[in-house]
Amino acid sequence: MSAGLLIRLDGPVTYALPVRALGLLAALLSLICALVVASLMAGSYPLGAADVAATLAGRAPSDLAQTVVWQFRFPRALAALAAGALLALSGATLQNVTRNPLADPSLVGVSQGAGLAVVAAVVAWPELPQAMRPLLAFGGALAVAALIQGIAMRRSGGATMRFILTGIGVAAFVSALTSAFLTYGQIDLAISALGWLAGSVHAAGWGEVAVLGGALLCLAPALAVASRPMAAMRMGPEMAVGLGLRVGRTRMALITLSVALAAAAVAMVGPIGFVGLVAPHLAHRLARCGVGLHLALSAAAGALLVGAADLAGRLAFAPVQIPAGLVTALIGVPLFVWLLLRTQARASL
Amino acid sequence: MTGYNNSDAPEESAASRLRVAGVAVGYGDAPVVRDVSLDVPDGALTVLVGPNGSGKSTLMKAMARVLPVSAGEIRLDGRLLRSTPTREVARQLALLPQGPIAPEGLRVRELVAQGRYPHQSLLRQWSREDAEAVDAAMRAADVIQFADRPVSDLSGGQRQRCWIAMVLAQETGILLLDEPTTFLDLKVQVDLMRLLRRIAKEDGRSLVVVLHELNVAAAFADHLVMMKEGCILAEGHVERVFTAANLREVFGLEANVLRDPASGRPVCVPVVTPNADVMSRIAAQ
Amino acid sequence: MTAPSTRPAWRRLGFAPLLGLAAFALVFACHVSVGARTIPLPVVAEALLSYDASVFEHVVIVDLRLPRALLAAMVGAALAVSGALMQGVTRNPLADPGILGLLIGASFAVVLVVGVFDLAAPALIPPVAALGAVIAAMAVWGIAVAAPGGAMPLNLVLSGAAVTAFLAALVIIANLLDEQSFEQLRVWMTGSLAGAQGGVMLWALPWLCSGFIVALAIARQVTALAMGEETATGLGLNVGRVKALALFAVVALTAAAVAMAGPMGFVGLVVPHVVRLFAGQDYRRIVPWSALAGAGYLLVVDVAARMVLAPVEISTGLVTALLGAPIFVWLVRARL
Repeated sequence: MSAGLLIRLDGPVTYALPVRALGLLAALLSLICALVVASLMAGSYPLGAADVAATLAGRAPSDLAQTVVWQFRFPRALAALAAGALLALSGATLQNVTRNPLADPSLVGVSQGAGLAVVAAVVAWPELPQAMRPLLAFGGALAVAALIQGIAMRRSGGATMRFILTGIGVAAFVSALTSAFLTYGQIDLAISALGWLAGSVHAAGWGEVAVLGGALLCLAPALAVASRPMAAMRMGPEMAVGLGLRVGRTRMALITLSVALAAAAVAMVGPIGFVGLVAPHLAHRLARCGVGLHLALSAAAGALLVGAADLAGRLAFAPVQIPAGLVTALIGVPLFVWLLLRTQARASL
Repeated sequence: MTGYNNSDAPEESAASRLRVAGVAVGYGDAPVVRDVSLDVPDGALTVLVGPNGSGKSTLMKAMARVLPVSAGEIRLDGRLLRSTPTREVARQLALLPQGPIAPEGLRVRELVAQGRYPHQSLLRQWSREDAEAVDAAMRAADVIQFADRPVSDLSGGQRQRCWIAMVLAQETGILLLDEPTTFLDLKVQVDLMRLLRRIAKEDGRSLVVVLHELNVAAAFADHLVMMKEGCILAEGHVERVFTAANLREVFGLEANVLRDPASGRPVCVPVVTPNADVMSRIAAQ
Repeated sequence: MTAPSTRPAWRRLGFAPLLGLAAFALVFACHVSVGARTIPLPVVAEALLSYDASVFEHVVIVDLRLPRALLAAMVGAALAVSGALMQGVTRNPLADPGILGLLIGASFAVVLVVGVFDLAAPALIPPVAALGAVIAAMAVWGIAVAAPGGAMPLNLVLSGAAVTAFLAALVIIANLLDEQSFEQLRVWMTGSLAGAQGGVMLWALPWLCSGFIVALAIARQVTALAMGEETATGLGLNVGRVKALALFAVVALTAAAVAMAGPMGFVGLVVPHVVRLFAGQDYRRIVPWSALAGAGYLLVVDVAARMVLAPVEISTGLVTALLGAPIFVWLVRARL
């Protein structure tokens, strides 16, 4: 049993962590570092690795290098990583609480709700301070999630497929409403909002990084605490009650947590779809572990996904920037289809 | 208690940790369980039987605090169930619901380990006690040879034993199992019931099991409870309760109750010859 | 179905079709009369019957409003019939050209050809749209059939959502790579009746007509198919052929609609359900009534789109989504 485990069985703090999963986490983190370095090096003004290292250390070879790295590429890379981690965690939580492997915050209208709130505010009150956006996004996302939950819930418990289909319908409605706002608004605002709506990291500065990082720091402990109840929730509501979990309260808390995570990301970089769906599944396939480690792996996978998507979007058709959200859609949809074809658990829904 | 009483049957002990008194349970306005009182005997295998819709599962869910009661009270060790913190209840009472589904890819050991939840905390995620409990549970349920295999790879009976191992690992004095044998082959049902009886006898745990198969119930139960339309119609030692009269009243079943010479347990055989009315009508055509 | 009556066919229909046509005519007339300046109905009648090129209102009516009204009617009818056929053949109350990916497939093909290859010939657009629609439809169907559970409504909708997301992303990328076309197509992509070009309308007409004719021709078989494929085969129906013909009709109608007005969602979902409430389950009645009701529905929606935020015009496609999506949600709640 102890084979392949980092284990401590006695004392006030005990744990049993699979070594393979820990190793994988380390590997993903180093891949992330490599991705950041690549992001700093590549672009319309290419920099060598040595120059990048020097710039990061404070001894930039030129003012341009300083600007390019510290004003544009570095915050952008970090924002992409943080957004990816937040979305992946949101998806993992949502999949756990709905016990549905196809759940994703963008599929159930949460991202669109956040998007609508921000677009409506930007178009209707252009003088609105940037700092209000996270709050608006959170409010919009929560409102849409509550709406979907309210519509899809039924006495018999609320089938998760109904939840997803209702989410698709509500998402379509919200998207149409958002488009209506864009049509009504001024054209330059409309185009920039449209770019943001496609899910892009390119405008991210240190302000966005701060908010995203802050959100991660605040919500991560909540997730750590939630990982134990999430493990019990996997067994189904009745079994979870039998194991001593307060299911109703836990479900509400987890849904709120999932929405908060997605809303934070969407508020800063716009809706980026499929990350919340795909990253947790990637983590499952790469290593088997408990819920807590799986969350960490999902976050790392999500960060990598969005970081790579942003980099690809920046370089593929330069000088045209393809928003990261489009790239994740192109990668995510085939993976979603593959999951749709493979998931046997349909009967249980 | 109605029903024909066989006074040769042995008396039962009166000790009971889980007491249900005058309980009604229902979804919304329609009570599925009406005025049920039951003292679950300690250290014995209690079996709940009854026709579909009689409220057996609902009663079990109420005993496991999954459903709230709309009238009456349930007490565990003298304390009201609804006011006992749920985590504490989980350390005394375990539930195996009907048709449980394991998350995809879960290994047997991981499934059984989940039963340790009420004994763990954020800082103490896995301890020596947990490891020992899981090993003991897997050995008791005879699934230790599958420990590292995915649950989905196993047969129905083996999978059900894994779930039983899980509730065993929870290390509770009382176990509630809702239809653990449904959809399984008869031989597998019998093997599972032997396991459950062993758990009750050797570990001194109290088990309450909902069963569909009448003869399996009669063969293994210490204490038999017959329910119909939300009420208990007959309750007591198997010898006293498993009678033709009760079978007729509760199930509408015409059957002869015989005795198995090997085990001494009652067995019911449904009456198959058509009754006289039907025969004469056929003859008249 | 009642026993055949001895009255002549046209009498058997009763007053309902006449009432329907009258209502439609009224809605049509209102659509023409309402606008930035409301033109009274008698003037509308005058313009249509005794056109006088020197009267400003007459010119406005015939050159601007009439084409748009005709466009709305045709697109509405096409999408409604298309949706009705899809719901019958897939036995899925949630089927609609938008949800099952045809609209995005058609749009994507048009964007590709017009935006990327710069071939904007009006004659090309309907066949290109048809090609896009049929490929998308086959992809959606193929994925759903291969999924566990087969082509259940749930799998079809999820598969449609996936294909839609993918193609939508490609469309946006294509637009980003060519900003100029983006401006040209931005409004069209949301589904708009504003840019009605005579050329495209004429070239779309054959597709429209053939789609309607086939739809009417197979209506009886679709009714049988709605009982289940095995039952239908038992009744002697050539299921494969009916499905192929239905696919042709759906693609032709959808392609024509998209070519003329861009992707307009939820019309094909909503209208057949309302029609079924009145006309029952026989597709020989559902198809023509859907055409009429769809035309009327889109006319009304278009008036709303033009008038609600006057003088700003909201794309009609947006309004159909705003109306149709809640109805989709209600259907999910009621039917699943």
